[in-house]
Amino acid sequence: MVSRWMVISLVILYGFLLGPFIIIFMASFGANANLAFPPQGFTLDWFANVFETSQFIDSFWISLQLALLSTIVSLIMGIPVAYALVRFDFAASGLVETVFSAPILVPGLVIGFAMLNFFVLLGDMHVMTGLFIGHTAILFPYSVRVISASLRNLDPYVEDAAVSLGANRLRGFLLVVLPNMQAGIAAAFVLGFITSFNNVPVSLFLSGPGVTTLPVSMLSYLEYYFDPTIAALSTLLVIFTVVLVQTAERLLGLSQFV
Amino acid sequence: MPHLEIHDLTVSYEKNQPTLERFNLDVEQGELLSLLGPSGCGKTTTLRSVAGFIRPDSGRIVINGRDYTYLPPNQRDIGLVFQSYALFPHLTVFHNVAFGLRMRRIPKKEIHERVANALEMVGLEAFADRRPAQLSGGQQQRVALARATVIEPQVLLLDEPLSNLDAKLRVDMRQEIRRLQQQLGITTLYVTHDQVEAMSISDRVVVMNQGKIEQIGTPERIFAAPETVFVADFMGFDNHFSAAVVSVRDSKLTVNWGGAPIELTWRSKVGSPRPGARAEIFFRADNASLSAGPAASGLAGQVILHTFHGNEVRYLVATEIGEFSIMQDSASERFEPGAAVTVQPRAQKWIAIFEETEP
Repeated sequence: MVSRWMVISLVILYGFLLGPFIIIFMASFGANANLAFPPQGFTLDWFANVFETSQFIDSFWISLQLALLSTIVSLIMGIPVAYALVRFDFAASGLVETVFSAPILVPGLVIGFAMLNFFVLLGDMHVMTGLFIGHTAILFPYSVRVISASLRNLDPYVEDAAVSLGANRLRGFLLVVLPNMQAGIAAAFVLGFITSFNNVPVSLFLSGPGVTTLPVSMLSYLEYYFDPTIAALSTLLVIFTVVLVQTAERLLGLSQFV
Repeated sequence: MPHLEIHDLTVSYEKNQPTLERFNLDVEQGELLSLLGPSGCGKTTTLRSVAGFIRPDSGRIVINGRDYTYLPPNQRDIGLVFQSYALFPHLTVFHNVAFGLRMRRIPKKEIHERVANALEMVGLEAFADRRPAQLSGGQQQRVALARATVIEPQVLLLDEPLSNLDAKLRVDMRQEIRRLQQQLGITTLYVTHDQVEAMSISDRVVVMNQGKIEQIGTPERIFAAPETVFVADFMGFDNHFSAAVVSVRDSKLTVNWGGAPIELTWRSKVGSPRPGARAEIFFRADNASLSAGPAASGLAGQVILHTFHGNEVRYLVATEIGEFSIMQDSASERFEPGAAVTVQPRAQKWIAIFEETEP
């Protein structure tokens, strides 16, 4: 029975989840120079301001490049690892799986700090290179996990079937295994992209002069200004993320993997 | 000349623990031969060696006079059907069946004809555009059969193809497999652990145990005349006891049954029995009968349990040499638990197996 209490707790839960978004959304149209709720007046100036602030535009492009590059590289590395973990039963497979999950378990701040120290030790490294390595490292376990989940759904004998029908191992993989990993790979891509694009703790440590990711530059903007520009930018980011996930869901049925 | 020859095949996954040891088998052209045995007996290993997925330690596999032993599996021209069907989930039925032909670079037009033919043979011509997930288990296994046979392979290998199907469908499908196999005249190895399935589908049956052949022969022969204790057990002989051999004459030996001698045909793979040796006697539940009370001849016993099976009643009877399961017509006289009975042998179909090695 759906009791009155279930309905009430659901409303409260959604209130806390969605409430802040609604406030930010409404505040981004307010005419006041300070972030205020309820907003007074109506203006799109803050949205215009987002596009006029070069700090945001530059860091958006950096975040986008970083997210694309590190997601793709983590996929390229993750596919063979996931394949090996699922298909081959080797002595250390449990250990390998644990090691690969470590970046999910270790707090991002610790990873960021550790990497910063490590890169300083290594000497002169381009800030973008550092960010790229850091992001790839945190995305890698996600790719391995999501892709292995999709591989586990595939009958291991389909490869033998392909080989018995005349395909060599490589063609068997390309013609039979890879097409069936497609949805998993796409899910890993979306998940990785969003994880990288939203990451603060690792980026915070690895950013440098002139090279900052969007979330980090939003944080530093907030230190000096408290106007609704951030609210407008947040609204844009929410829309961007929702559209991305919805498209992926529509195309691939993402939810069966995450 | 046999179409498929396996010579002295030895396969071991771990050192010095061969799964198959010097295994020899010949399969004639167009023959359906079953490998029957419990899990771990080496039947699937044999099959996968023929398919080329296992590289043997030693021995040879020859098909149609050509040495296949070290040929990669994708060059073998072998049709393989799996227990899990192993259809390609992202391809339609048509493209699943066409896969092997595409690998062989057959012209498009011919692919269409051959796939249509193959689907017609398994009665799935209307399902060409479906995905495997939209088909029932039986239909999926038919697609797998079409996919494996459309390439006109030298040998068809089936690995427990019916184990994932329910009982009724299994009976239909095994008739279908047999019909298709005979229509195509294709040399076939069929792996199963189900003796009824092996009996009903095969030209010959190989009973395997621990990597070795226990017995090879027609279903009738294996059913009626097991040569080893293992085969007798596996073929569903309900009753077993050991008895001292009283006398031996040619192919017959005599043992005692409740004080009276009975004469049985004996079989052995290790030598011939002598008086005093122990023979293992097997008989099925319907090859003995019960009479009420003590009798002049026969083995005295007491009914422990009876279960009703429609046309028959099955009795469990305790005697001084062990418990026996005896089937009686349900129209005949009934015995309640505790009743004293005499077990009368119908010994024509009893078998005696001599396995003792000389000391």
